[in-house]
Amino acid sequence: MANSNLPRRIIKETQRLLSEPAPGISASPSEENMRYFNVMILGPSQSPYEGGVFKLELFLPEEYPMASPKLGRICLDILKDKWSPALQIRTVLLSIQALLSAPNPDDPLSENVAKHWKANEAEAVETAKEWTRLYASGV
Amino acid sequence: MSATDLNLITSFLFVNNSITIFYFGKEGENCKFSPLYPEAHMPVRIPFQEGLGQKFCQPSGTGIDLGFFELDDLSKPSQTEDVFPLVIYVEAGLPTPSSDEPPISQPTSSQSTQAVLVKNNNGFFQAKVIRQILWVEGIRYELRDIYGISNSDETGFNDEEPEKDCVICMSEPKDTAVLPCRHMCMCSECAKELRLQTNKCPICRQPIEELIEIKDVITYKVDLHISMQSLLLHSLSLMDSNSVFTSSNYDRAFTTQNDYGNLRELE
Repeated sequence: MANSNLPRRIIKETQRLLSEPAPGISASPSEENMRYFNVMILGPSQSPYEGGVFKLELFLPEEYPMASPKLGRICLDILKDKWSPALQIRTVLLSIQALLSAPNPDDPLSENVAKHWKANEAEAVETAKEWTRLYASGV
Repeated sequence: MSATDLNLITSFLFVNNSITIFYFGKEGENCKFSPLYPEAHMPVRIPFQEGLGQKFCQPSGTGIDLGFFELDDLSKPSQTEDVFPLVIYVEAGLPTPSSDEPPISQPTSSQSTQAVLVKNNNGFFQAKVIRQILWVEGIRYELRDIYGISNSDETGFNDEEPEKDCVICMSEPKDTAVLPCRHMCMCSECAKELRLQTNKCPICRQPIEELIEIKDVITYKVDLHISMQSLLLHSLSLMDSNSVFTSSNYDRAFTTQNDYGNLRELE
């Protein structure tokens, strides 16, 4: 169905994601819909998310690459107004990985977590580690 | 440093017929230059043989004593930016009119390299090229780099090389540059499509004023044979008359040309 008429760019991106995956990132297309990817990002070392495996779903809309890939609830400017068609699946996933290394409490998804992070970073980091163990241990 | 040490001789490699060095050259109409201080230095037009890879050395005695000038005046263009401390004006050879033909009123082709003179750590002056102007068939062009032009004349590259392809479709070779930011990043089809959706350059997000399609980069450069000088002049260096001129060799300058040689029409 959706796999017919897949733009050459998407085929190329997919091939490169599979043949030369970025370290700590895997993205594989679903068999039923080649615009739908199952993504896994490893928590960066020396971050509270180290040891965690973060699963994401990524979808390439019909307008891609003129429109950004659709991901879950992630607050990242390049997925919104800062999207450029020169960006790719790979660069988006690398940006998400980088966001795990350097969270941005000034532009948060969750106000509460950001407040906590700004008020008491050490404690917030402990919570992040705990939640990584509980919810992202990969098993 | 004594005043005599500051007597400058300009030398560089070049490819064409006549060269004039202006110190504090002021650009006038049709890319002609005149000296701002004719009493300090009267430019001399020096004829030259045609041919690649020649070295130019200003004849002894035609230099200028920079000791008369303030370092500040030497190291930047005038406020209005039409006077530069050093202007190297290269005229392309016109065909010599034979006696039985009427003189051809063909405009001269020229290239001027406009530079400032800054003192390096060793106390020598070095030229820093600020801009280069081409005058070809009555049109003034300013030479600008275009970012993202690949060495398309190189063989053996497989077509998967990502930098050669349009950043949007990743399939067609890129042939369209964005102005004013000069990012060559798209094929013409995707460029058209992009303009329907956004006004921002895919690389830098600056507003797009204009798109230029660069069809055959290599041919374009060869046609504008004169533009090659610009690169050679990048290796231009100024030193006192006792120093030996050294520059990067010609091959390197020629290779560098792959990143240059594209023109922007200003007027």
